[in-house]
Amino acid sequence: MNLASLSNRWWMWAAIAAIGSWLWSLPSLPLVVAVGSGCTTLIVVVLLIGHGVTLQRMQQAAASYDDAGDNDELLTAAEAESEIEALLEKSNDIVPIPPVDQMLQTMEADNHRRRLEDLLRRWVDVAHRYSEAALVLRKEIHGVVHHTEQAANTISSSFQAVINKATLQAREAMELLEGTQGGATSGAPQSLTDFIRVSDERLTKMADEVVRVADLSVQMVQELDGVQTRTQAIDGFLLDVEKLADQTSLLALNADIEAARVGEFGRGFSVVAQEVRRLSQRSHEFSDRIRQHLKAVKVGLNKTYGDMRNLSAADMEHALKIKEDVIALTRSLEGKNREVAETVGRINTISREIAQDVHNVVVSLQFHDITSQKLKGMLEPMDDLRRMLFHLMQETMATGKNLLPLKEGSTMSKADEKSAGVSADAGSDDAVLRKLRAVGSSSSGPSVELF
Amino acid sequence: MATIMTVDDTASMRQMISFTLGSVGYDVIQAVDGAEALKLAQDRKVDLVIADVNMPNMDGITLVKSLRALDTYKFTPILMLTTESQAGKRDQGKSAGATGWIVKPFNPEQLVNVVRKVLG
Repeated sequence: MNLASLSNRWWMWAAIAAIGSWLWSLPSLPLVVAVGSGCTTLIVVVLLIGHGVTLQRMQQAAASYDDAGDNDELLTAAEAESEIEALLEKSNDIVPIPPVDQMLQTMEADNHRRRLEDLLRRWVDVAHRYSEAALVLRKEIHGVVHHTEQAANTISSSFQAVINKATLQAREAMELLEGTQGGATSGAPQSLTDFIRVSDERLTKMADEVVRVADLSVQMVQELDGVQTRTQAIDGFLLDVEKLADQTSLLALNADIEAARVGEFGRGFSVVAQEVRRLSQRSHEFSDRIRQHLKAVKVGLNKTYGDMRNLSAADMEHALKIKEDVIALTRSLEGKNREVAETVGRINTISREIAQDVHNVVVSLQFHDITSQKLKGMLEPMDDLRRMLFHLMQETMATGKNLLPLKEGSTMSKADEKSAGVSADAGSDDAVLRKLRAVGSSSSGPSVELF
Repeated sequence: MATIMTVDDTASMRQMISFTLGSVGYDVIQAVDGAEALKLAQDRKVDLVIADVNMPNMDGITLVKSLRALDTYKFTPILMLTTESQAGKRDQGKSAGATGWIVKPFNPEQLVNVVRKVLG
């Protein structure tokens, strides 16, 4: 075919000639002309090549047809028919012209398929979204459990500390008010109650002593009164004695007179009478002396009497006043005692109330344990659902259709890792969660702000 | 006074039990899970065990079984204190050898009464 091919490729040679002539004339041409002619030459070459290639192709096609035609120069009728049928079939493959019904059916099937695909896409989307949401939920649940644990522990410790201190306070107060059991036996008062009791006793005793002394003074005054009466009686007797002495003296004088009347025979009698007179004088003197003594005794007695009177009066008054004061003090001490008893009672009541409050707190503080177990119980069904959805998603996408909504492809691989492991506390979740949490997380500003 | 061991993974729970039984005079020791409880039980003699069911490392029912396998703890009273109220778990506990089953939250007076009754 060499000659034929050469003659067929005349366009090639023409193109080469054009280029050659341009190149040969190039040195002797000014620049502008060279460029212009170059362009023209290029266009001519391109046209020639294009024409040539198309021609070649057409010739090839014709050749093939010719070949086919050449081989079956003599066709029988049957062969021709089968030939036509084959051609028709071939033409069907190239350009299908289905009837209208078929077209409609295919369209419906297509629609249906598209709807199913759409539905599957939406399910996949839901599954994907649920996975992300479940991750956030899981982290939040763990957060809640952690926070409530910390809070519960703090409350619990503080509560125990408060209870211990309250118990201590009550014990101190009771000790102050009532004292310990063994205190009273040592003699010195140990508690407030003891102190009140002992003070009361001692003051009462003291007051009684004072009253007793006052009583004694009164008795002594009475004794003195008695003595006074006796001195007065003695005084009276003395008077009688003097009277007697006077009368005796008078009698002696009368006797003397009678003795003188008698004369000599009466001389003995007048001596007797003189002696009697002298005796009565002597008794006068004695009586005087007694009287003087009595006077002194009286003076001394009066003085003592006066002193005693003053003393006893003052004493009694004083003693009575003291006794009154002591009674008042005792009454206020009794009042204090009652107050102490009341306070003790109140402390006991409060202790009982505290016991009831403690009971309530102990029951309530178990909340953390119960809620955290319940929350953790929520995680299992959530994880199960997530795993199931993920498997479903994988299987759906393995059908080959592009069902994944075009979101971050990276999260899918992370979900992959997650589903392979069991608990999802891996750091790979953090990137996703940080992104998700950044939307609606707690503020990072100061805790109190005044505007 | 008797020694009681409380086993629970929640600190506040252990504190409440410790406080309730401690204030009536018992000596209370704490364990965070079944494994630690088993170890403590073998280090010293414990007169009563109060254990939660849901714990990491070793759960309550396994702990009961392990304790009953030891000679010293064959007849020691073991009370389960748990949030589980289902009959299934309860029967498991009973067949493992637990002495009693208390549902949370516990009433402190009730707990003291039960402990007193069980320790004789």
